[in-house]
Formats: sequence, structure tokens, C-alpha cells
Amino acid sequence: MSRSSGFGYRPRPTPLHAARAGATAGYCAALGLVATLFDHPLILVATLAAVCLAGVAAGAGRELRRAVRLGLPLALLVVLVNPLVSQQGETLLVRGYTVLGRPLDITLEALAYGGVAALRVLALVLTGALFTAVVDPDELLRLLRRVSFRSALTAALAARLVPVLLRDAARMSDAARCRPRAPRRGAVARAAVRGALDRSVDLAAALEVGGFATAARPRRRRRAWSRHDRSVAATAIALAGGGLAARLGGVGAFAPYPGFDAALGPAEWVLAGAVIALSVAPFAAPRARLGVARA
Amino acid sequence: MPEPIARARGFAYRYPESRRPALHDISFALAPGSFTVVAGESASGKSTLLRALTGLVPHFHGGEARGALVVGGLDVREHGPAELSATCGAVFQDPESQVVMGRVRAQIELALENRGHGPVAVARGVEETALALGIAHLLDRSTDTLSGGELQRVALAAALAHRPALLVLDEPTSQLDPVAGDELIWLLRRLNEEWGTAVVLAEHRLERCLAAADRVLALVAGTIACDAPPRGFLAWSAGAAPVLETQAARLFSLAGLAPPPVSVKEARGALAAARLEVEAVRPEAVEDQPAPRPFQRRRRPPAALELRGAWLELPDGPAILRGVDLRVAPGERVALMGRNGAGKSTLLRLARGLTEPTRGEVERAGEVALLLQSPGDYLIHEHVEDEAGPDALRSAGLLGRERSDPRDLSGGERQRLALEVVLAGEPVAAVCLDEPTRGMDRGRKRDLAARLAALAEHGAAVIVATHDTEFAAAACARVVLMGEGTIVADGPAATVLAGGWHFSTEVARVLDGAALTPEGGARALARELVA
Repeated sequence: MSRSSGFGYRPRPTPLHAARAGATAGYCAALGLVATLFDHPLILVATLAAVCLAGVAAGAGRELRRAVRLGLPLALLVVLVNPLVSQQGETLLVRGYTVLGRPLDITLEALAYGGVAALRVLALVLTGALFTAVVDPDELLRLLRRVSFRSALTAALAARLVPVLLRDAARMSDAARCRPRAPRRGAVARAAVRGALDRSVDLAAALEVGGFATAARPRRRRRAWSRHDRSVAATAIALAGGGLAARLGGVGAFAPYPGFDAALGPAEWVLAGAVIALSVAPFAAPRARLGVARA
Repeated sequence: MPEPIARARGFAYRYPESRRPALHDISFALAPGSFTVVAGESASGKSTLLRALTGLVPHFHGGEARGALVVGGLDVREHGPAELSATCGAVFQDPESQVVMGRVRAQIELALENRGHGPVAVARGVEETALALGIAHLLDRSTDTLSGGELQRVALAAALAHRPALLVLDEPTSQLDPVAGDELIWLLRRLNEEWGTAVVLAEHRLERCLAAADRVLALVAGTIACDAPPRGFLAWSAGAAPVLETQAARLFSLAGLAPPPVSVKEARGALAAARLEVEAVRPEAVEDQPAPRPFQRRRRPPAALELRGAWLELPDGPAILRGVDLRVAPGERVALMGRNGAGKSTLLRLARGLTEPTRGEVERAGEVALLLQSPGDYLIHEHVEDEAGPDALRSAGLLGRERSDPRDLSGGERQRLALEVVLAGEPVAAVCLDEPTRGMDRGRKRDLAARLAALAEHGAAVIVATHDTEFAAAACARVVLMGEGTIVADGPAATVLAGGWHFSTEVARVLDGAALTPEGGARALARELVA
């Protein structure tokens, strides 16, 4: 049976996987940047759609579905919490009590802004899932090792250990079910943490004998830029540059309070369309359909 | 004479917070290109000695080291693992804890980049190592999709990529099935012969590796009790440490034959030379056994456990079990054998109810206890006394260890405690154990077989999924052989384990299936001598 946890990078014949890790990481970072720059609901919906389209085109639909299942409860929490902590807005839905000297009223605008924040959370969670699914962690590690060797290796270990520890936890859960009296979940969780620490000690020993302590910074590898590298990197630059320019130019203006005010002119529609179009651009180039090998 | 690759003179080591030394008065010299097996019972100091050769002892584990141990010209008391790693590569038991990168290629590259190799040397080193170890087809695979055997080969490749002069391996086959384990030992032998890499291998299943070895260091209570070529070691172990004898050597010593054979081939040759040829069991004998007949169940006494037409089909994958019919009576001891992926573990999970069959039925006469492969997973409390009651601790032989942390117990102690944990409720109808003898020495296997016999005497059906033919022959009366999710053979151990080639004990291979155990084989040879 497969030992895969369902998350993580899998080589696939798509332009995002074929491009170098730096370009693909930049592409994901650009999508995340757009989701961070704008509060405007239309732009956030467009970004969410762009991430989903890119994920499906890159064969990572399953990973994104799992991320949605993980991200939705968090998004829902944001929707519920925002009206409780923000009493701004002119449309009162529920008049609450005064708690610690503060009125606990719930306004339509606070609820709507909670929804907008939830959209952003979901967009960022899905962008993270896309990043995990399409960026080769080993290649990214090699890039980062030139900057900070130990931090990069620590990050790689953390990424590698997540599925290992998930399997350990699943085994311990099975073992707990085999006991005549099921133990408390807390006890199993504590044992899983102790097991993780034991495993990390073993791993540290293996790294020691592998010469990690005296490891030198790896030398740069020169690799010609492939068409996938170029198209994905250009898309990343266009997304990030276009998003920044639009933000500085005042496109996507949005004020949640006191009344929900979101500009919805041609500029916003163009920006939303551009985000979606750019996100699928690396897949749309005619020759890209032939690109099955790592260039 | 060339300078030894490793030399110890009066080396001793004590772990921190331990009063007794783990190693004492250790002296030896290892020649470059030699193949040395380190033998010994559990907790005899094998792992500590290997960790000392890598520099983990004392630098990683702390503690106090005395005497001298020099590896590649560096004294391990003054030079740490990173410095020693240029000379000494290491592979440990659990492959999961040695592979840190996402893909196989990156794992081997990391080993070379750590030592400052440039891109061209790294690329060449990866290709050559992968080809030498037969893992070129795995280079672009994700490490979390590899089997245990493949992962251990990757760990070996990473340890060998920079061509160290010495390679130490601490029970590298303990987590592997026998086929993968045998392949790894053959690979080591080839590397030793063709690359001239000196190998130091700690291993419980000595019959696997003695034929490849030049020399055996036998450790008893932290000191070297025997330092001899394999034949000399076997002659020593017959008198001083029978638990370390191989099955073929035990057969010879019980039959009064000498010298002890190092391999099956040598044993067969010696018997042929002495004109001792016992009657072979025909392979047809296995095929002649009647197939299980589930429709007879009305006339039989109630079963402790019965699977009727049990299927397990994965939603997005193949069928793991394909209509399995298996009936186990109370008090019966059954070994479930077959290669990895044959469906043994899944069958046990169905028996316990951890997984439900997608078709068919599982009928249990009562509770079914299941001990999965890692006994440590059952031990979740901070003290032994919190895991099981006093009676259970007495059965496990752990009285006096109540306040110990379960993680500080030895592998055998953990196994005994975990078995008592799953048996702690009401009396069970069946006890299932999944690969209980992995990494266990022969003494502990004997203890486990005795415990299972006691459970069977009290009426519990015992079902053991195992690759260990010697254990199956000693502990079980019936063997069920699985393949591709079905039962392919089912009969008395004496028949199923005698007629095969892989699923056969070492004694059965020496005597063409005339006996399974050294004791039975010695009796057969004695009859032959009288005749």
C-alpha cells in the first residue's frame, strides 16, 4: 500500500511541475501577494478561482479539495468571530449586551467583512496547498541552502517528517483500538509527540554520521532556462507587478465600514479577469501541451 | 601488512546515567576490505560498538569513553561523527529515520554536497552509486512511495556515495522482509568484493551473512568473547553460546558432526561426503494436501475464528484479499506466511475488526487480541505500571520495573509488555501477532514461542503472520501460505515448510525437507547412522 499521506509534491507532466522550483515558487507567491494586497471581494473571488484553475490544470485538484476541507472551518471561524470583535457598521442586525463596558452588537457590515476575510484566508490556504503540490521541495531546498544551509535543511526535514509522523500517529491510533479498554486521546497524543521526539533524535544521529555538521554551502548549478521556466516566471512577474501597480493606482478600492462600499468599475473587472487569465497562461501556450519532461 | 581501517585497544564506554559499562576491554583490528559480522544477543553491546565506530559514541550520546578506538587514523574520542564520516559510512535499522529528502536523487546528492563535491562530481557520483546499487530506476521517485527494502537501499546509497573505506550497518535487515534482507546482504557482499569497502555488520540472522564474512566478533555482556573466522565462531558458539549458532551448525553439533557448516551448500556437501542422505520430502507432498473445505463446517466443532469468502477491495486500488476462507480452531497455532503484499496483515486486521471486509464474513467466538508490528505503539504511558496490572507485569517478567519508562525497555521487554496489554481484558478467543520476531534474537523467540504455546493450551487460537520460517516451525503446528490475497497452501508445518524453496527452514534445505528443526534433523541423521 502507498505510504503517501496525500499532501506533498508529486512529479507530474504539467508546465508548473516542469518549470524550475524558483519560478513555480514565485508564481505561487504572486498569487498569494494578490490575495494579500486586495480586500475587494471581486478580486479575492478571482484569486480564489485562479488558484483553483491552476491547481486543477496542474493535476493537484485532489490536494486542493483536501485543503478546502481543512481551510473551510478556519474560514467559517473568521466569519463568526469578526462580527463579535468589530462593532462598526451602520446596519444593526442584533443588539447584544454590554460586556466589559463594550457593546456586543452585530452588524451586517461586520458580518460581510468577516466573509471577505474568510475569502482571503481560503485563498491563502489554497495557495499554500498549490505551492506544496507543485514546487519540488528538494530543488527549492538547494536554492535556499545557498542562503542559509541549516534553516533550509530544517525546513526540508519538517516537510519530510509531516507524512512520516502522520503515519506514526495512524499506527498508534490503530494500536489504541486494539487495547481492551481504549485509552484517552490525550494519552495517545502525548505518546505520539514523544515518539516524534524519539524519531527526531534518530534522524539527528543519521545526519551527524552523514557529515551534516561540517557540510559546506553547495556550489551553484547552472541550468539553461526552458520555455516552461520562462513562461511561469513571466506569469509570476506579471501577476505580482500588475497587482502592485493596480493597488498603487487605486484599483479595487474597498471600505467595509460604515457602509459596505466596494468599487465595481471596469478597472476592477479587468483586474479580476487578468488575474484569472494570467494564472492559466502557462498552461495555455500551444507548445506547453507537449511538455511532459522536466526541461 | 596494511594499516587497519579500525583498531581498538582496551576501549570501554559507559552511557550517561548508567552505572555499568556498555562496552569494556574491547580490542581488535579491522583490515581494509574485510567483511566482519558482529554477533551477540540483544543488549550485548553490538549497537554501541557500531556507534563508537561512527563517532556517535561518545560525541552524540555523551557518556564516558576510555582506551583507544581509531578509525581511519582518527581517535573517536577526539574526532566527532562529521570528521569520521569521510572514512566511515553508516546505515541503521530504521530506513525512515535516515532519509531526509523528498526524492531519491536529492538524498544521494545531499550526501555528496555535504562533503563539498561540485555539481559535476555530484552528478557522476549519483549515477555511479545508483547503478552499483541497482536503484537507477528509483532516482526520480518520491522517497515516501518506496518500500522498506527500497528505502534501505537508498540509505545505503547515501552512505556509500562518497566511497568511504568503512561501512557499518546496525541490523539493516531487521525492518525488511526476508527477500529484501537477503538482497541487501548480497549487495553488501558484492560491494565488499568489487569496491573493497570494509564492512562491519551487526545482524541477528547469522545464517544470512556468515557465508559472506571473513570474520566474526561475538559480543557477550559488552566484551568480545570470540574473534574468529565464521567456522571458528560456530565451533565456539556450540559450547559457549548455543543461542548464536545457526540452525545448520546446531544440526551438525546435535548429530555429532564436525566441522560446523557455514552455509547450506557446505552442509549438504559435508553430508554427501559422509554418505548421510536422509529421505527427501517430495514437493508433490505439499500439493497432495487437501485444500481447505469450508462447506464441511457443520460437522466440525465451533471455530475460534472463521473467515468466509472475505474480500477487501480498496476504493481506488486493487483487492488486497480475494475471497479468503480460513477456519482456526481453539488452541490451534497457525503461521500465516507469504511475501510482502500477500495480504497477511490485512487478514489479521479483519480478524480483530480494525477493518471490515467489503464482502464475505468474519465470525469470532469471542474477543480477538491483535499485536501489530511495532509493540512500542501500544505503550503510551510514562510508567510501565500504568500500562498493565501486576499480574500482567508478572507474566511479562517485568516485576521490579514498574516505575521504568516503557521506552527504556529493550525490544523483547516491550514486546512482552505489549502482548500483555492486548491480553489484559477478558480471556480471548484468538491472539493474532503481526511479525513479532523482527529484530529478535533466538533466545527471545524461544520465550515468545513458549508464551504462545501457553496461550494455546488455555484454549486461545494463535495466528502469527511471519516471514521467519524457523519461528513458524518452532511455534506453530499449521502453516497457511498466502499469495495475491488468497490462500495458496494450508497444511501441517512439517509438510508446508519442508517442500518449498523460500518458505523452508535452513535445516529443511540442508536435509531436503526431511526435518524442519535441528533436533528433528539430528534424529533423522542418527537413524541414518544406525542404518
